[in-house]
Amino acid sequence: MSAVASRSVAAALRSVTAADRVRDERAALETFAVDAIVPRWVARPVSVDELAAVMTVAAEERLIVAPRGSGSALDLGAPPARLDLVVDLSGLDAIVEHNADDLTVTVQAGRSLHALNRYLLAHRQFLPLDPPGEAHTVGGTAAAGLSGPLRFRYGTMRDLLLGVRFVQADGVVTWGGSKVVKSVTGYDVPKLMVGALGTLGVLGELTLRLHSLPEAERTWLVAVPSAAAAQALVASILDSTLQPNRIELNDHTLGAADAPLAVLVSFGSVMEAVVEQGERLARLARDAGGEARAVSGEWTTASDRVAGDRRTTLRVGSLPARLRSTFETLRRALGRIAGARSTLGAHTGLGLWRVTIDGATPEAIATAVAWLRDAVAEHGGYVVVTGGPVAVRRRVDPWGPIAPDALALMRAIKTTFDPDARLNPGRFVSGL
Amino acid sequence: MATLTADRKRALRTELEGMLGRGAVLSDPDELLVYESDGLTLFRALADFVVFPQSAEHVSAVVKLAHREGLPFVARGAGTGLSGGCLPAEGGIVLSLMRMNRVLEVDYDNQLAVVEPGLVNLHLSWKVGPKGYYYAPDPSSQQACTIGGNIANNSGGPHTLKYGVTTNHVLGLEVVMPDGEIVWLGGKTRESQGYDLIGVFVGSEGTFGIATKIVVRILKKPQAVKTVLAVFDEVDQASAAVSEIIARGLVPAAVEMIDQLTIGAVEDAFGCGYPRDAAAALLVELDGLAIGIETQAERIVAACRDSGAREVRTAKDEAERQLLWKGRKSAFGAYGRVSPAYMVMDGVIPRTRLPYVLRRVNEIVDAHGLRVGNVFHAGDGNLHPNILYDPRKPGEEARVVAAGAEIMKVCAEVGGSISGEHGIGLEKADFMPFIFSAADLALMQRLKHAFNPQGLCNPGKVFPTRKSCGEAGAVAYRPHAIEEQGLAQRF
Repeated sequence: MSAVASRSVAAALRSVTAADRVRDERAALETFAVDAIVPRWVARPVSVDELAAVMTVAAEERLIVAPRGSGSALDLGAPPARLDLVVDLSGLDAIVEHNADDLTVTVQAGRSLHALNRYLLAHRQFLPLDPPGEAHTVGGTAAAGLSGPLRFRYGTMRDLLLGVRFVQADGVVTWGGSKVVKSVTGYDVPKLMVGALGTLGVLGELTLRLHSLPEAERTWLVAVPSAAAAQALVASILDSTLQPNRIELNDHTLGAADAPLAVLVSFGSVMEAVVEQGERLARLARDAGGEARAVSGEWTTASDRVAGDRRTTLRVGSLPARLRSTFETLRRALGRIAGARSTLGAHTGLGLWRVTIDGATPEAIATAVAWLRDAVAEHGGYVVVTGGPVAVRRRVDPWGPIAPDALALMRAIKTTFDPDARLNPGRFVSGL
Repeated sequence: MATLTADRKRALRTELEGMLGRGAVLSDPDELLVYESDGLTLFRALADFVVFPQSAEHVSAVVKLAHREGLPFVARGAGTGLSGGCLPAEGGIVLSLMRMNRVLEVDYDNQLAVVEPGLVNLHLSWKVGPKGYYYAPDPSSQQACTIGGNIANNSGGPHTLKYGVTTNHVLGLEVVMPDGEIVWLGGKTRESQGYDLIGVFVGSEGTFGIATKIVVRILKKPQAVKTVLAVFDEVDQASAAVSEIIARGLVPAAVEMIDQLTIGAVEDAFGCGYPRDAAAALLVELDGLAIGIETQAERIVAACRDSGAREVRTAKDEAERQLLWKGRKSAFGAYGRVSPAYMVMDGVIPRTRLPYVLRRVNEIVDAHGLRVGNVFHAGDGNLHPNILYDPRKPGEEARVVAAGAEIMKVCAEVGGSISGEHGIGLEKADFMPFIFSAADLALMQRLKHAFNPQGLCNPGKVFPTRKSCGEAGAVAYRPHAIEEQGLAQRF
């Protein structure tokens, strides 16, 4: 594109937003780079209509578009194939409608999850999504499919997103789902947008189901002597009538340094029910050879806290009853990476593991991930590289293989929503 | 759709029998008649064949044949649907999945089960019940409806207020695609990579393919259950109590409303202990831990009393609880006592708008000179106004259909939905524009095309078509023959 043409794109974007909300100077653009690929323009719409207008310009100019919330999950997925325009959604941060008595809220995609929950606190309500990190936007949490320990009780964005207003690749504003807590009117388009990494449309507004904050909440830590003991404990909790908010398996940074593993369980309810469940948990813990003690709720694990550009994170899908064997498989895989510091954690009630690897070469990580994929595939498990240096994600397909028949369907869907492949191309599964 | 010649039909029958065996293919018009409609008898259509596959391979072979011949096809479970969703196109093949009704695997350690689509919903809970587990989605038709049908409609039920609808309980699906290929979506682990194909398949009303194996979550039964009956002299008070319960952050497992007309019908039929002189009653169920449930029940009682309940009582034992639930779940059948026919609506509204919308429903029905009974999932805001009428009276059906359309419009106007759990099917296809713009609908059409490019898999459903426009209001809404004989009821 010539300099003149480039200026005319900037002018077109400015004409549909505002002069100061389109950036095209090198220094500003560099801060919006995705995997070191610097966009040519950054546009910051402040309404869904402006977002649509920006996307219309992008369609006319055939620009490759990457939506961006807070930028906290930009290292999810493969490096982009190309990039022209970053659509910065941080200006779309309004609470559009809060129906407190209906426990629903409609927010713009750029609203931070923490800011939303701070607002909802006054109503004793919350959106029960707790991915590690402070910065995530609601739209980013949906697009990247992020979740945290609370998913054991409340599910994920998939279970909470009722309706979504998004802008298609051609600039058309589209609505899917509903604003009420139950609906089967039309296809469940909102589900398709969760975890799609912005490859099917740019999220503008999300209508969400809220929950009441539990009156009382307490957390217990059970230090257990082995993975086998952890598995026995988790199995006994799952097979009981206890109703935990969270069941996590953590590394030993939470005060149980003498034990190899810590199982953290929290209950949220009326106080008497919380206390009684704690007592029952203590009995189950003793049966499994551990000891339960009340701790302050601290759900950020060491693996979540390890910062820095060199860190690689994995999500490993397994089954709750395979806790011990998955743990041993992960230990073995990580042991093969020379010089690496690794940490482990799991939403263990659901069989989902989180791994952090620091200080390893991309080659070593690639080898370990490949080995791990083979090892867990036997039982229907999977490994996703959820973040890490671009060098790692160039060497390893972050998503892993997708079954050809399911992939064919995904390609057909992608073509339906984004026929020219201009939305985040190359970053999603199998290069979608 | 070209009509099959007699010769061609014979040849296809022979081929289908070769695939599925004798006794697995119907083509005699008298036999086909059984499959001409579902629980909504407003719409009827005859297939060329009804077949009974027993495996995914059978389904695949039939679908490939249909694909080759350009014949439309549709899967059918128990036929309890209420939107005409499993009706054949005029001609084509109905695949009844009732012979694929096995529980293939139960994995208690991982709290999941793998089942076939023709398994009756309640039978799964029976199967896992002895070990303290159950399958949570509980449509009122759960004694008859199948899990495959639940997948198609993303079915709900009273307890979905707390536990979510079908889609929240499905982990994996084996699907026969509209071209006959067998595809696995998801599996046993949480999440799979790529687009959420399960999420979009569930609730696609049989237009994306046919599920042949289903991996569902099973839940541990709650330790304790408590059922509260609140009685009101005014419907507005009952509506206000529902809003009050939700607004106070209480989380019952179910909040069902049942109005005076319905109470009368239920008491005539079953004598369940609802007071006949009440304007409305709320059936509120709490479940969970034994400890703390009293505290929560007291708060429910307080919310009801603060809203003007004249009486609030707790079911004293399991027998009384079962009787109250029998009244709720059998209410639709009981309408037979007070009316020769009725049509059930399925709108959803914000729960805070219940008083207004119920008033509007009554006004609309009054204005058309009809009567309405309300029995519904109030906690979700999922209305089921049942408009009563006599199909033998000229013009009454047309008034029912017109009133139904107005009610759906009110639901849309207050920011709601035109179907909470019954599906769009044929019945509500024309009302989709109340909710969605042309662009929204066009996107969904393209999405359907991605799964079902030939359009042979359950054609004519969900989207407005000229054909269904012509039918609505013109075709009689009659009780089915077996209903007239009291042999079956709509759910």
